[in-house]
Amino acid sequence: MKFTLINNKKTEQLSFKNNLTIKELLDQIEKPLETVVIKKNGQIVLEDEIIQEGDTIEVIQIIYGG
Amino acid sequence: MNCTKCGKKEVMMERKHSGQRLCPECFISGIQKKVLKDIRKYGLIEKGDNVMVALSGGKDSVMLLDILSSLQNRGIIDLMAVTIDEGIQGYRQDGIKIAENHARRLGIEHRVVSFKEYFNISLDEIMALPFPRGACTYCGVFRRWLINRTAREMGATKIATGHNLDDETQSIMMNYLEGNIENLRRIGPRSHPKSDKFIVKIKPLGEIPEREVGLYVVAKGLEVHFAGCPYSQESFRAEIGEIIKNLSKNHPTIMYSTLRGFHKIKTALKKEDSRNFTMDNCIKCGEPSAQELCRACVFCEELEKKKTH
Repeated sequence: MKFTLINNKKTEQLSFKNNLTIKELLDQIEKPLETVVIKKNGQIVLEDEIIQEGDTIEVIQIIYGG
Repeated sequence: MNCTKCGKKEVMMERKHSGQRLCPECFISGIQKKVLKDIRKYGLIEKGDNVMVALSGGKDSVMLLDILSSLQNRGIIDLMAVTIDEGIQGYRQDGIKIAENHARRLGIEHRVVSFKEYFNISLDEIMALPFPRGACTYCGVFRRWLINRTAREMGATKIATGHNLDDETQSIMMNYLEGNIENLRRIGPRSHPKSDKFIVKIKPLGEIPEREVGLYVVAKGLEVHFAGCPYSQESFRAEIGEIIKNLSKNHPTIMYSTLRGFHKIKTALKKEDSRNFTMDNCIKCGEPSAQELCRACVFCEELEKKKTH
């Protein structure tokens, strides 16, 4: 399953197993859930959302240290 | 599972402690209602107030400006804003631009004032001097001085800051752990200044968790400067913030209970406050101060000495 990840303004194509959730993706890229907002195809989604083939996932960091 | 309020399918957030799941519309209107309710509950704003927002361009102050602009639209308050340029290369300029865009969009009076212009030194220059104090120590003192002075010059009757629930909880824990009861007494949704030269400060977002502030600005598509201050890592506040965030993972209501508990002991703390000092004016800058020199002027003198050595 392939999808587009926008993280820190960098865009990349990723290949992962099917039924990957947002939470699993965040674990992979080492981003704590409580510091980010996730958009899937432009809509804010919850951590249990499943990523589908061709999706665009945007990770927006909203909380920085301090 | 759909939105627990309206039943829509597009759920954007879940409050684990209450099981509430909300769509963007219900989340945004719920937050706005909560902030306006807290403004009434704590008597933060009266009709006819000139409210100056301390607008950094970050998520907290942008959300605050967004919600307060609804009071301006209804003719309840006059809104204005100030942005402080501390002089942090590669960080502050983006925030200033965003603050200017919001002020222009809303048609409100906006001033950008800098440490360099008022104290003749930028924060970067301060931190390059030998053996400086922590950056947040200078920044906090100079920023408060500058915000208050500008508020008076602009005719503000209230200064609104974007402190959120995380900030308030951190302040409570920091001051408690440091044994700084004097500062602990001052924490709360509005200030009660001892000099009329100090403009009343209000914190309408004091019961909104930081993450929900972030969700609000993203859900509303507001332009925001998302970046961390390069000096924040050094602070004790950052260390405390980390501890509270970790605790919140398994105890999602811990920040609310810390704040609630604090409100209960605050009454007792106030009663204990037996000190009866009078506020005078700083002999150098004329701003209110309990000492001959205010802290900003003490720091300026200290920095002058460092510069010449």
